[in-house]
Amino acid sequence: MPEPLREVQRRFLAGIVEDDAGAAALIDDDARVGAAKRLAIYRNNYRASLTGVLADHYERLHAWLGDEQFDHVASAYVAAHPSMTRNLRHYGGSFAAFLAEHFPNDGELAELARLDWALRAAFDAPDVPVLDAVRVTALGETWLEQPLTLHPSACLLSARFNVAALWRALDAGEEPPEPVEFTEPVALLVWRNGLQPHFRSLSEIEAGALARLEAGATFTGLSAHIIEAVGEAAAMEELAGWLGQWLADGVLVQSGTGP
Amino acid sequence: MPSPGFGLGLRPDHYPDFLAGPQPVEWLEIISENYMVPGGRPIAMLDRIRADYPMVMHGVSLSIGSDEPLDRAYLADLKALAERVEPLWISDHLCWTGIDAHNSHDLLPLPYDAPALRCVVDNIGRVQDILGRRILIENPSSYVTFRSSDRSEWDFLADMAERADCLLLLDVNNIYVSARNHGFDPLDYLAGLPAHRIQQIHLAGHSDMGDYVIDTHDADVCDAVWELYARAIAMFGPVATMIERDDNIPPLADVIAELDRARTVAARTLEGVDA
Repeated sequence: MPEPLREVQRRFLAGIVEDDAGAAALIDDDARVGAAKRLAIYRNNYRASLTGVLADHYERLHAWLGDEQFDHVASAYVAAHPSMTRNLRHYGGSFAAFLAEHFPNDGELAELARLDWALRAAFDAPDVPVLDAVRVTALGETWLEQPLTLHPSACLLSARFNVAALWRALDAGEEPPEPVEFTEPVALLVWRNGLQPHFRSLSEIEAGALARLEAGATFTGLSAHIIEAVGEAAAMEELAGWLGQWLADGVLVQSGTGP
Repeated sequence: MPSPGFGLGLRPDHYPDFLAGPQPVEWLEIISENYMVPGGRPIAMLDRIRADYPMVMHGVSLSIGSDEPLDRAYLADLKALAERVEPLWISDHLCWTGIDAHNSHDLLPLPYDAPALRCVVDNIGRVQDILGRRILIENPSSYVTFRSSDRSEWDFLADMAERADCLLLLDVNNIYVSARNHGFDPLDYLAGLPAHRIQQIHLAGHSDMGDYVIDTHDADVCDAVWELYARAIAMFGPVATMIERDDNIPPLADVIAELDRARTVAARTLEGVDA
């Protein structure tokens, strides 16, 4: 009884992913190239495609580490995380957690990875109509009482390191600054405006405001909260500034607006 | 379907050229998975460029050779993309990409035997039922031969196409690569294929390692592959042909120059055949 195809495939894949020696017995050997070298072509393809996609997804982390170190770290991740996704686009989502676990003394690595991944996610996140100045005008005052949320491309990150400065220097091809750990974490907002992903640093109070909106607050509810926190005059100034920016950047959507 | 002519694989590097103005290309092939994403730039570029060019969809994840149930979620996404793109046709490869939910993201070779043929034919049937259309299956490049193989790749493909009633995408470079790696005559390969089922041709470059050849799609088409292409056109007639470049991507004008060479080779060959 010949071995079922599924068993052949399990063994062959184990030969590629885990270097399992049993795979060589499945294939013809020859003097010119040899079974081991032939299998190694698939093994190399596998590693190169997964480390290559990590280099695409984590472009600034790659620039920060350089080719050799990045390849070393990416290969370790690939060895520990066989791909379980059909589309390579989704491979590598736990790379930041892997870096945090394995390089606890280089906290900027995981944070740089998290920023790269959030920007990558913003790049092809769902298209949802944004709340912009035109839409607000059309809605009149009714929008003030409607629950809002952030655009699917938007996310709030918390950074303990100066990864915003690192990222921008690496993006510009400039000499990056030394990593610095802050005494208090800084909030970053990642989002997509039109087709272009962006990020910026937030004040603590703006980050809190966006977190409230992300959880479904109305603008009226948010206003009451900010007035209570900083007083009416300061709140009105803050809220007007933020709202202008959020509407121009396309950060907000009306809650329940599906893709 | 009559040939739509000469096309190119659409790559993000060339988006600005296609947006800037008309290019001398009759159709474009997209990698389906690159557009199986929720939104943003990929979808926006797809819609804008699709408005100006007919497209075909080429997938790398269908895995018709995996001996396990097809991935229904993937098929649903593929079908949704097809409804958006309205492609001339949809293709994938004679291969398997993984098993037990583990994915190699590579086009892995199959044993050419009866159980693998049954698996592939059944899966193509299911895919064609779900998509509501015949699909094209591309011959892979490969580096190993399974001990259980008891027939040639071309016999396997011909049987598969007949039994599943599917069409074929002939990758001339893959034939060259596999012929070098396995030591068969590429002309035997061409002669063994059902001409009436060949709907598209891929041309690409490879890396010659001396004792073997790797299908890298990162270089120009080599002379031996051009010669084999001329033989294919002489045997199969005017088949829709495109250049497939996936790495080390040159300016669009360079790829179009290569496509123009394909036009010339095909035209000269067909003149010779007619005479």
